[in-house]
Amino acid sequence: MSMTSRLVSKMLVLDARDEQLPSLSRVYGEQNVIGIAVRNEDLASALAEHTDLGAVLLAGDYDGSPAANEAVAAQLHALRPELPVIMQQRERNEAAEWPLAGRQLRASYAADDPEGLRTAIDEHVFGVTFPDALVDGIVEITTARLRSLFTSMDVAVEAPSIVRDRIIFGEAFSLIPLEGAWCRGYMLMQAEEEPLIATLGSAAARDREAGSVGGAGAADFRELNSVLGELTNLVWGAFKNRFLSEPATGTQPLVQVPLLINHRHRYISFGSDNPQLCFRYRLSGPGTARDVVIDQRFVFSLNWSPEDFDDSGEAADAPAFGEIDLF
Amino acid sequence: MAKILVVDDSSTVRDEVAGFLRRNGLDVDTAVDGKDGLAKLRGNPGVKLVVSDVNMPNMDGLTMVEKIRGELGNSAVNVIMLTTESSPAMKERGKAAGVKGWIVKPFKGDAVLETFRKLAG
Repeated sequence: MSMTSRLVSKMLVLDARDEQLPSLSRVYGEQNVIGIAVRNEDLASALAEHTDLGAVLLAGDYDGSPAANEAVAAQLHALRPELPVIMQQRERNEAAEWPLAGRQLRASYAADDPEGLRTAIDEHVFGVTFPDALVDGIVEITTARLRSLFTSMDVAVEAPSIVRDRIIFGEAFSLIPLEGAWCRGYMLMQAEEEPLIATLGSAAARDREAGSVGGAGAADFRELNSVLGELTNLVWGAFKNRFLSEPATGTQPLVQVPLLINHRHRYISFGSDNPQLCFRYRLSGPGTARDVVIDQRFVFSLNWSPEDFDDSGEAADAPAFGEIDLF
Repeated sequence: MAKILVVDDSSTVRDEVAGFLRRNGLDVDTAVDGKDGLAKLRGNPGVKLVVSDVNMPNMDGLTMVEKIRGELGNSAVNVIMLTTESSPAMKERGKAAGVKGWIVKPFKGDAVLETFRKLAG
């Protein structure tokens, strides 16, 4: 089984020395890291803007003074305690002195040791492996279902990514359990209201002009909810049929843990530190001022056994979707 | 009197399927889950074809079919499942309950219209 090496991860880079960037960029490229350089004064706004991060890469002498280091640590811990911090040590053993040593600080490496950075990223960001066939299969089944629901729109997919953040973004999201012999967890689909409602309104207007449907006025959030729910249902069904042919059953009752959602902080926890496997689909087409962005996340928080991964569920002679199989 | 009953908890699917069938001249009623479908069928013996989802709240589609055949004693109405499910075990359960056919979502009206007409006739 081939494990994917194509996943990317977005990371904040807190490093004031521009001369470091070429060597860091080389490692980032090899490690599929999308680095976002941030100056200290912009840290809060960068954290607010980027809600899908994999880690923070921090220079030990980032802001030069112990007090400034404490301020950075306090901000990171207050705003995003779940993000792993990986520190590059410069003059001395800054990692041991850093206020979050032993907590949010997961790894450190010497400035002249790029291998140390590679190891830290592999272990603390990507950590969990995902089979290529799973990643490819998710993209395939989701784009096919998006095209079936949004027939007049083009669907583009961004590079799949690993996210350690636990932020709910978008404005509407759906959540559905995935239960199989080799994995157990959840799928989330998230979207912003305005572009999707505008798209649904445009489609309804076209249908009315064509005389194919009657009366209803502009789309509202309930219609958006319904469409997001149906998209989730379609993708969930296809995922189950293809990847979860072996049910998650045994002699013991299945374990569950509470999900925790904090609306004020737009935070969701699935009860484990497992990373989220994320996909972003961008829909564009006639009558849409803004692209519709659908974020899809998989969190295998209850069981992840990729060594038992099986994508042979969908029978080779199964009828294509939409066609009737008469008994 | 409705000839086709579309049962699905998703209003998107109900609107899509019922809208397509109405535009093609068929008489359609809708229900939001298996329990509602069973009630609509009780009150409308003229229904000739039920098109139903499987995974629904309150009562799933296959349980509804089993109750149509059992409790209602209605062996005449044709039932087609329209669902994301495609597992052989699920289909076997459908067959055993007297389901006539199985469609894996998404719905493609043109691919099934003639069959629907025959079964609702």
